[in-house]
Amino acid sequence: MDPLFLGGLVALCTILVLFSGVSVASGLLIVSAGFLLAFDGLRSLELMPEVFFGKLDSFALLSIPMFIIMGSAISSTRAGADLYEALDRWLTRIPGGLVISNLGACALFAAMSGSSPATCAAIGKMGIPEMRKRGYPDGVAAGSIAAGGTLGILIPPSVTMIVYGIATETSIGRLFLAGVIPGLLLMLLFMSWSIFSTWLQQGRSGALEARSFSWRQRIEILPRVIPFLIIIAGVLYAMYGGIATPSETAAVGALLCLLMAMIIYRLWSPKALWQVLRDSTRESVMILFIIAAAGVFSYMLSSLFITQSIAAYIGTLEVNRWVLMGFINLFLLVAGFFLPPVAVILMAAPILLPIITSAGFDPYWFAVVLTINMEIGLISPPVGLNLYVINSIAPDIDLKTILLGSLPYVGCMLLAIVLLSLFPGLATWLPTAVMGVAV
Amino acid sequence: MVGRVSELCGVVSALMILGSVLLTCQMIWVRKINNASTVWQTETVIYLMIGATLLGLPYVQKLRGHVNVDLLPRLLPPAIVRWLAIVTLLAAMAVIGVMVFYGVEMWFVSWQKGWRSDTVWGPKLWIPYLAVPVGFTLYLLQLLADLVAVVQGIDKPFESGHSH
Repeated sequence: MDPLFLGGLVALCTILVLFSGVSVASGLLIVSAGFLLAFDGLRSLELMPEVFFGKLDSFALLSIPMFIIMGSAISSTRAGADLYEALDRWLTRIPGGLVISNLGACALFAAMSGSSPATCAAIGKMGIPEMRKRGYPDGVAAGSIAAGGTLGILIPPSVTMIVYGIATETSIGRLFLAGVIPGLLLMLLFMSWSIFSTWLQQGRSGALEARSFSWRQRIEILPRVIPFLIIIAGVLYAMYGGIATPSETAAVGALLCLLMAMIIYRLWSPKALWQVLRDSTRESVMILFIIAAAGVFSYMLSSLFITQSIAAYIGTLEVNRWVLMGFINLFLLVAGFFLPPVAVILMAAPILLPIITSAGFDPYWFAVVLTINMEIGLISPPVGLNLYVINSIAPDIDLKTILLGSLPYVGCMLLAIVLLSLFPGLATWLPTAVMGVAV
Repeated sequence: MVGRVSELCGVVSALMILGSVLLTCQMIWVRKINNASTVWQTETVIYLMIGATLLGLPYVQKLRGHVNVDLLPRLLPPAIVRWLAIVTLLAAMAVIGVMVFYGVEMWFVSWQKGWRSDTVWGPKLWIPYLAVPVGFTLYLLQLLADLVAVVQGIDKPFESGHSH
């Protein structure tokens, strides 16, 4: 059978299987086993456990559970609320300071926790009621937090970027750096829209008016916030300073965050500690299972010559590279509507990367574009995870308002993709400046 | 009973992850502070992580923590969803069964032939390989327990999951 046709068949079956509600990892194993059995015979199944084991047999993967522990230790404390309060107290003089501090807190918390839903929940719990109390429209209050939360997968350290790095064998350190400027750009776009939209609805009075805090109030909050920021800065410094690999620094970061949570937030009880450990185990096992299953899936694709044929076929197409990029974006966007970022990256990145690089795009730039596409999925129906998180922490804002409030932020993300396409340097400049030209 | 075993797996898996955190920190300590070289740590940490993943499978299944796309099941009538759950659980069990079968074979061959890892330390491979048949067998048991619960109508499928 023609490998290209077979590829289409695999895609169709994968969609059908995943939509049946089976877990993503098992679904990938089912499709892989089915196609191997049908087109390569029974003996080809023999290698499945070996491929599965081999995919997990990597020191780089260790950074995933480590960063998850870091995030989950931070998320289990009041660190999110403190961070938010600190920014609020320091930024009140600026018009619209509250929404700015919310989005700033999202970006910082995102950097610390690396998780979108955790960021939404941590900042939103405090931020949404406060914004509404101060007269911000419900849509802006909910939408800005839903969108701010998505920064979690773009701003380093990001588990999504690690997974991309592992799937495409690109440098994780470089990927982290590539996400910094686009992450800040997105944050600025989100802030601008929030202020503009509030101003449009209410004029300058009301919500956008400045408030004031005493210096004492401003300073007393710092000791609770700064230690975590130092750990994150330390982890990133150790990584870029060449002192240790991402996995090693993440392990030290995880231990320090656990200790900090115990010391500063008195997270002593075995029950609370077990909860942190349990949540991290659950999240890590879920992601590592998908990674290993996706490894078996791509083994199936390449042993049936599907990957190679697709790359070769795309190479023969005489299309404009930007048209190609447009289609890839559309595909990622649709996939992101239904699947978690990790699953999309693991399934799509190994197939897309050769196409991307042969069309002359930078793999690190592409990682950023791909991640922003995944961020859009997180705040878009039908399965935008962040929308449901917001819905659960602010149940009296109906889902429609949350959804409509989030839509303009989707616009901001699309604008960011356009800006990145016009100025690829936004993503590629920082990694090159810090780590030199990629080889 | 199966639930208890799965929970125990969860504890073991969490401890293995915690162990890998501590061991990695110890490794950095030995290398940077004592300026000594490390022989066995990196590999042990990797095997701990693999063990944690495989033994964690039944526990995460019990918590409904394996991410899925539950869009369709949420739209369909309950009677159809029940059948869908039975079919998907059976399909998952079939493929996990394959992993158990060939996992046992992989473990047995590595044990019989005394395979060692290709490093200076060179640990016997049957030890980490053991996680594959054991983890998948326990996962299979948890899936079976879930299937029984769905068939008996104790469990409503696709609910309270960690879905996307």
